[in-house]
Amino acid sequence: MKLPGWVVGLLIPAALGVCWELAVRYGVAPGRLMPPPSRLAQTAWTLTLSGELWSHVAATMWRVAIGFLIGAAAGTLFGMLCGASAWAMRLLDPSIQAVRAVPSLAWVPLFILWLGIFETSKLALIALGVFFPVYLGLLTAIQSVDRKLIEVGRIFGLSRWGIALRITWPAVMPAWIAALRSGVGLGFMFVVAAELMGASEGLGYLLLDGQQMGRADSILVAMIVFALLGKVCDGFIVAVTRPVLRWQDTHRVQL
Amino acid sequence: MTTVTVRGLGKTYADGTEALRGVDVHADEGEIVALLGGSGCGKTTLLRLVAGLDVASTGTISLGGEVVSGTHPAVSAVFQEPRLLPWLSVGDNIGFGGRRLAKAERQARVDGLLARIGLPGAGGRWPRELSGGQQQRVAIARALIGHPGVLLLDEPFSALDTFTRGTLHDLVLSLWRELRPTIVMVTHDIEEAVVLADRIVVMKPHPGRVQEIMQVDLPRPRDRLAPQFDLMKRNVLRAINRSLAETARPRGGEGGVPAWI
Repeated sequence: MKLPGWVVGLLIPAALGVCWELAVRYGVAPGRLMPPPSRLAQTAWTLTLSGELWSHVAATMWRVAIGFLIGAAAGTLFGMLCGASAWAMRLLDPSIQAVRAVPSLAWVPLFILWLGIFETSKLALIALGVFFPVYLGLLTAIQSVDRKLIEVGRIFGLSRWGIALRITWPAVMPAWIAALRSGVGLGFMFVVAAELMGASEGLGYLLLDGQQMGRADSILVAMIVFALLGKVCDGFIVAVTRPVLRWQDTHRVQL
Repeated sequence: MTTVTVRGLGKTYADGTEALRGVDVHADEGEIVALLGGSGCGKTTLLRLVAGLDVASTGTISLGGEVVSGTHPAVSAVFQEPRLLPWLSVGDNIGFGGRRLAKAERQARVDGLLARIGLPGAGGRWPRELSGGQQQRVAIARALIGHPGVLLLDEPFSALDTFTRGTLHDLVLSLWRELRPTIVMVTHDIEEAVVLADRIVVMKPHPGRVQEIMQVDLPRPRDRLAPQFDLMKRNVLRAINRSLAETARPRGGEGGVPAWI
């Protein structure tokens, strides 16, 4: 039997879905706390029609986008700084590593105290979560650039700046992009935490609301939408950066 | 246009290892000088100092009579590995060596060199798509596109099979006849030294020093099968044996001719 890979991958979820649907329909299982696929589709459809889902998605995406931009920019900046200068490395890295040792969610109470319950504290938390993988990924990549390629730059008369721009930067590009991708993943993780700590809209709010209202179906819809958004964002980064990674032997990126 | 003169050159690394002591070597304009010796005789260290990639502990390096330090626009190099930049196309890699050239001139030279190294039309390919020998040809083209006064070769043929090595020797010689750079090359291969060099500097180890300098007075193109060629090889081998005998005696043990000869 010859089936395309993605069909094979769908077999188990589809089978589970059908079984569950039948179990609930024939009264074998209750389905209130574990709603069957048809109910999920119905809920998703209702939320979409009322425009509610869209406003939650927009709120969440806005937070992730802003938080990601701040965290990724800061992570890139500090990564470059510590990668370029041994002095900056000695000065900054110990403090950054110390902050990293604190589980990021432990900042939540302090952020709320300092920045209030509204957007700023949420963005700060997301940015903090994105910062570390980007910083660490870029710094490690810069430190492991092949010395031999740097020497090629020196032989052909590149300045320190020229080497950074024409050798180091392209060399670390794949690792930087990989770091950004894990940054996006953490961004979504922290947006959930941020929205669970108090929000009036957003997919995290939908989760919390579903819990308080006993609506397992809207919780599951929110979870599925989270998964889809994460996938889309990751795919977006992969698609945008594909041209600059064309040279890589192993560029067959798995979405 | 460029002579290379090394005077009293020494290098001791930070960990106290003395890699090179009191080396005097001279290469005339357009001459090919081979630094020959086993591992630990400091030949690569010497080349790296001339390239300006490392800083000498003692002594001076002069190009065209002028004492220099650091890398120099007139000096180019090919390393043991091709060291192509994987994110640049083959053509852009060659062009990388000629960044100072005007764009049109650079492109013309890239195209010319691609044809010379037997890879016409391969300018748009990625380095990883080429074989090791082809990559090394590209590295040679990159080193020569700027018409350097001095070309340094750090065992660029050592990782290649015998057949590829022979064709690369021919390639280097034909480009050398055309552009006449002064070539200082490092090798541990006696035959390679005799095929390519006008002069052979036999080095000895611990610390790296010059054992003796031998003139190779064989007409070019050189015939590897000619009796004079064999004679020259044997003379070089004797010089190496002398250096081994001298370095082995005071330390005791490990004398004689090693297996690699």
